[in-house]
Amino acid sequence: MRHRTRVISVVVMLAAALALVPLATAEEKPQYGGVLTRFIYADPGRLDIHTETPFPVQIATAGIFSGLLHHDPADPAKITGDLAERWTGSADGKTYTFFLRKDVKWHDGEPFTVADVKATLDRLLHPDFRSPRCGAMLKPMVAGFNAVDRYTVEIRLNAPNSNFIPSIASAWCRIVAKHILEKHGDLSRPEAQIGTGPFRFKRYERGSVIEWEKNRDYFVPGVPYLDGVKHFILVSGPTQLAAAKAGRLMLWEAWPPLLRTQVDELQRTRGTEIEVFTAPVNTVAMVQLNTQKPPFNNRDLRRAVYLGIDRQEIITKAMDGSAMPCALLDPKVVGDFALPLEEIQKLPGCRQPKDQDIAEAKRLVEKHYPNGVDIEASIRSVTDYVDRAQLVVSQLRRIGIRATLKTYESAAGYSIYGKGDFTLIATQDTGMVTNDPSDVFMLLFRTGAGRNYGKWSDRKVDDLVEQGIREQNQDKRKQIYHELQRYLLTQDTPGVIVGWIEGAFFAEKRVRNYRPGPTVFDNNTFMKVWLAR
Amino acid sequence: MNLRGLARAARRRPLGALGGFVVLGLVLVACLAPQLASHPPKDAAFPRHVAPGTQFRMGTDHLGRDVLSRVIWGARLSLYVGFTSVAVGITLGLLWGIFTAYAGGLADGITQRIVDVLMAIPPIILALALMAVLGPSIDNVVYAIVILLAPTAARTIRSVVLGIKTTLYIEAALALGCSHARVVIRHVLPNVLPMYVVLLTVNVGYAIMAEAALSFLGLGAPPDEPSWGGMLSAATRAIETAPWVMLFPGMAISLAVFGFCLLGDAFRDVTDPRLRQGLG
Repeated sequence: MRHRTRVISVVVMLAAALALVPLATAEEKPQYGGVLTRFIYADPGRLDIHTETPFPVQIATAGIFSGLLHHDPADPAKITGDLAERWTGSADGKTYTFFLRKDVKWHDGEPFTVADVKATLDRLLHPDFRSPRCGAMLKPMVAGFNAVDRYTVEIRLNAPNSNFIPSIASAWCRIVAKHILEKHGDLSRPEAQIGTGPFRFKRYERGSVIEWEKNRDYFVPGVPYLDGVKHFILVSGPTQLAAAKAGRLMLWEAWPPLLRTQVDELQRTRGTEIEVFTAPVNTVAMVQLNTQKPPFNNRDLRRAVYLGIDRQEIITKAMDGSAMPCALLDPKVVGDFALPLEEIQKLPGCRQPKDQDIAEAKRLVEKHYPNGVDIEASIRSVTDYVDRAQLVVSQLRRIGIRATLKTYESAAGYSIYGKGDFTLIATQDTGMVTNDPSDVFMLLFRTGAGRNYGKWSDRKVDDLVEQGIREQNQDKRKQIYHELQRYLLTQDTPGVIVGWIEGAFFAEKRVRNYRPGPTVFDNNTFMKVWLAR
Repeated sequence: MNLRGLARAARRRPLGALGGFVVLGLVLVACLAPQLASHPPKDAAFPRHVAPGTQFRMGTDHLGRDVLSRVIWGARLSLYVGFTSVAVGITLGLLWGIFTAYAGGLADGITQRIVDVLMAIPPIILALALMAVLGPSIDNVVYAIVILLAPTAARTIRSVVLGIKTTLYIEAALALGCSHARVVIRHVLPNVLPMYVVLLTVNVGYAIMAEAALSFLGLGAPPDEPSWGGMLSAATRAIETAPWVMLFPGMAISLAVFGFCLLGDAFRDVTDPRLRQGLG
């Protein structure tokens, strides 16, 4: 029942978004041709969809690769076959069999077979292979797999898991070519972008543009409608807005969401040409602490930061009010798996006014550093991170932590974080791979999680995360996640959840058939999008 | 020079006096920033975009920081960058220019080609490239501006030294057996110093502009530092709704550059014998 409520809430959100996005009417026939223009908010750098976590990497390669399953472009709430034409699950819920399409070719003309799926799974599930998104999701679930024949693959799970099919359908779990892996070693470079998707990788000009062109041998007949997609790389907010106002962008659907002031400006300049819509973002903003280095290897200092950060101030001043503060799970996405907001907002750290929490935070800092402590706060210099980080630095100063801000170019920042070469990340957003409540804990809090940059490890959290994944009874599952949230909100934590981000996007009215996916990562292949003339 | 002398000089060169007054004012503001600023410059404790009024004389910015306090502290940062980079850059240029002109030959040829290369690159592009390599920090801004200033100063000083080198008193000093070091220190350097002082004053305004430009482009001072250029950059997103956030740091940059330019012009006039004798 509760699970149904959660599903209904997501479906309602998608439906609300769809009602506002210009869709093709029943009478309209899709028109072929045209190049869709949009933007990526940072230069992706390395393009390996399996090893990288930045959203720009996923955006840059979304139309190039296919998965076994994906979210139906016509109805993104539904998961359908992509490279697998169908799949079956065993009665005990522990074995899934995927039957592959036989008519698929890679962009270089090589045939697609089960060997490619096997090479992909071998790569993703190898214990030494670092795959912070797809691999991190699948490794704890999958016991093994085998190729039944040239076009059938069977995957066995450790235990029944309701998040397995959404994970396989996730935009990060794409199937890559065995012969390309053998040739290039990884998928980092543009020449390794050989997929089976609706578009071919045409051009990557660092810091400027990424272009796709139509795959005329795509295995789904009749699509794509577009001749290509052009992604401009626009890093600064004012440049992005200027490009949108000047009509260089037909679609703003990924990241960052539009601020209210930006929506007002766009509607003043292009009000008759565009439709503004809201869509689920399912992305969390967080301050992260390196728990392996002083001073945040000390639990008291972590608690001090947790108490001292004023989430509401950051959201109001730097995020235009477009986020829901404090919660570890977004009730709009996961329903009553999330703790009630009223409960969270009364807890230390989130409660307002902040005086009591700041006093306690100062006391904790002074206990270990009577004269305060100097640290370096790192951020990637993208979107509104710089503004948020300045507020974090200002708030830390109030509790005796003097932070110096250090900015990094997007890809360089991820590299630093991945190596653990930081003390505090002043802000970092993480988009969820699926809408399952386990996602945020799998990505950010579990030992070894892909976005657990501070290398935090807590046995109780790991145990609860494991229980939450395995539990099939939804009421018991909800209890596990409530316990997990209460523990993280009141005991120890590797950082501070600032809030779940909300926001608006726009599409030009001539962009038809674009449907937002259940997460920001889904349904951005533009396979069925077309441009009305 | 006593007060009466200063007053006479001010009457003779009123624009220079105005420049000196502005620069003195900026130096005082920078030195007394902790006393003059009513709030810490990084403290975002107030409501955002409060219009100028009795509580906040220059309003608050998009993060709720007092703009007046940031402008005051920004003077300290701008003058630090301006004075430090110019002092180091022009001094390096002085030594470089004297060495290359006095030594002549191959050393002059090689070093002048380096100067040619550096001067062939547009200064702002060179500064951006340097900052991209060095990373955003105040000290790195100083290094970048030093690298911009030193070659041009070296070229200017070299041209002066080439003229001095052929004068009779240098020939006489050498004929009397003076060492080259003595000739440079006792005869060349004193004659180059007026040009050095002019270069110092004229380039402080340029360095302040360069720092503001780099910070405006996000490659200068770290974003939370109260830099006038950085404040301008942050203000661009609310030009229509909160114009004061852009107005005051913009005025501060203009005033500082104006002051240093007037002062530099006055120094140049005083040290140029043709202008001093009314021949210019």
